[in-house]
Amino acid sequence: MSSEVGGVKARVPPATKTQLTASISGLTKTVRQVINSDAGDVVKRQRFSGKIEYAIYKALLVCIYVMYAISRYFQREYNRIAIKLLDLAYNPSNSPQLIRQDVNKLQKIPKRIAAILEYKSEGDIGGGLPGLINDASDVVCWTVSAGIKHLVLYEYDGKMKQSVGELRAGIHHKLAKYFGAENVPRFAIKIPHTNQVFFDVNEGPMDSANEKSKKHKVAVEISLLSKVDGRETILELTKTMADLCAKGQLKVEDVDTKLVNQELTQLVGHEPDLLLYFGPALDLQGFPPWHIRLTELYWETDNDQVSYYVFIRGLKQYADCKMNVGK
Amino acid sequence: MTFRLFGRSQDELSSAVSVDGEQVRTLFEQSKDNLSIVSSFSLQFLRRHVKGLDVGLLPFLRVFAWLQQILVCILKMGPVPRHVSFIMDGNRRYAKRSNKAVKEGHKAGGATLIDILYLCRTLNISSVSAYAFSIENFNRSPQEVDTLMELLGYYIDQFTERATNIKDNLYGIRLRVVGELSLLNEELLEKIRCAEKLTAEGKEFVLYLALPYTSRNDIAHSMKDTINKCINNNEDITEQALTNNMYFEEYSDKCDLLIRTSGHTRLSDYMLWQVHEGEVVEFVNCLWPDFGFWRLYLIILRWSFYHTLQKVNQLPVPSSIRNPVFPRILKALPIDTLRRSKRVALDSLPAPPLAVSVDR
Repeated sequence: MSSEVGGVKARVPPATKTQLTASISGLTKTVRQVINSDAGDVVKRQRFSGKIEYAIYKALLVCIYVMYAISRYFQREYNRIAIKLLDLAYNPSNSPQLIRQDVNKLQKIPKRIAAILEYKSEGDIGGGLPGLINDASDVVCWTVSAGIKHLVLYEYDGKMKQSVGELRAGIHHKLAKYFGAENVPRFAIKIPHTNQVFFDVNEGPMDSANEKSKKHKVAVEISLLSKVDGRETILELTKTMADLCAKGQLKVEDVDTKLVNQELTQLVGHEPDLLLYFGPALDLQGFPPWHIRLTELYWETDNDQVSYYVFIRGLKQYADCKMNVGK
Repeated sequence: MTFRLFGRSQDELSSAVSVDGEQVRTLFEQSKDNLSIVSSFSLQFLRRHVKGLDVGLLPFLRVFAWLQQILVCILKMGPVPRHVSFIMDGNRRYAKRSNKAVKEGHKAGGATLIDILYLCRTLNISSVSAYAFSIENFNRSPQEVDTLMELLGYYIDQFTERATNIKDNLYGIRLRVVGELSLLNEELLEKIRCAEKLTAEGKEFVLYLALPYTSRNDIAHSMKDTINKCINNNEDITEQALTNNMYFEEYSDKCDLLIRTSGHTRLSDYMLWQVHEGEVVEFVNCLWPDFGFWRLYLIILRWSFYHTLQKVNQLPVPSSIRNPVFPRILKALPIDTLRRSKRVALDSLPAPPLAVSVDR
């Protein structure tokens, strides 16, 4: 079902993410679709009895779908209520102390976390660029409060990369809300794809090379990734390596997991330990494939908001999980 | 979900198996200890085709198998995934839980895979891949690695035998063993080569056994191959070329459904390239040997349902066939008013009290 828009493959989210909102009218639509969907590719039967058999099976399939839709609807309502309650139970109300308290109950925290954020359309509540920046700065504040030093923010189209200025202002503003205007923690925003580093609002951009000492003092280092850091970067790397091989500077036999890993860590960054997704069903959206090797994935079924309880429950799951690479 | 053989002990069954000589024994070797977890669907098939197996006397089994067969036929009518992949996690925990040796756990896992294979094939799925052994698994104790290799060899033999036996329900399945094969020992390699050659005829259904495999290794290997082809044959380096050079042949681009058992929510270096663009990944909270007909059925039903729904949502529904009955009932119910409490039209508010100014 991938639709071509201007030669570029448009992203198709996983089907399980399809909203069941218009519950009953959606159901009738489903029923109709299943009935109408052409039989052609399944079996072309000439025999009359075959046709009857086919019709019966099709009708039964519709029944099963309807039953499934109904049960799913109730399950969804149940999940929604649970989410509302959780949201109330874990409400940090802009206080880093409470977040730190929550985190200190855990045995271990991840060194690097990643979050997949979504750009919602302008008309929606919390949509557009302001909505995205608001979500991003929320996640940054929680990360700083939890004491995690590295954060990866992934957005499919790279909208945040294009508006770093707004993002910096947004994060600064939110951090001021959490920590007070006098002691806003310092942060650095990295864009690995263009190899740029930005600091807080009142400081100018600078190259990653100079002022290394300053970098050490930041409370959090934020990398912005988008789909170009995924397959495209791997493709670019392959081309570069092919060039080097053609020139004789690199042997083809030397291209192995270790070298590729080294290069991709340079180009994109380290693999995050925990990946949070704030949507209703897991949707990796083209997150760099090399970088989700052992990453713990966390999302909350039927949730559709960037909320603190997803963050803290993700950290909890990470703290409880047992890591045994291959063993 | 599991199906217990009512009223009959497993010993009775296995004795029934052993009386009928070599053929039945080889067919059942892998599942005789685990008959209770194999779906009655495939048991029924075996009952029909293998004489001397006394499971047909159980009326419950018959009804169950019949029911399962009908359910599968129904599901076949909807959309089904093209490539399904499994991370078979939890064999050792299964063995530990039932106080058996680790080997027994892996054996039970093998039986589950074979059972599920039949189900997938009946559902018209065209390819199944399974993560049999990770490169990282070489870090396990040497005894366990040896046992695993031995078992894998054994299963590959079993599978080949069944896939080439026209009477069997696995007949005509093509087997491909993919991964860093150079890490395997010569004996196993020989078996693999032989198995791939014997089953090469199968066109409709492919089983990819990832052994020893990691996705990063796959990507790196594909890069290397692409570079080689670029230098030697002057081929272009494109994303498509990278994908084509991966181990899973024409199924390398994406895996429609990835199922991981045992509840861990990570990919463990498997199918990274195939799954990172928004394919469906299901994490099931049960151990692999417990994963059976019903769980798989529900997952595929879910997949099929949502894909139908997604298609519906993309198509504009012509207003002529819009059914007026359901929305009307819906409006009569209070659900909507409860849900949409935040959407308030200004006009819908009650009229404010009379506005009076101070200076009349």
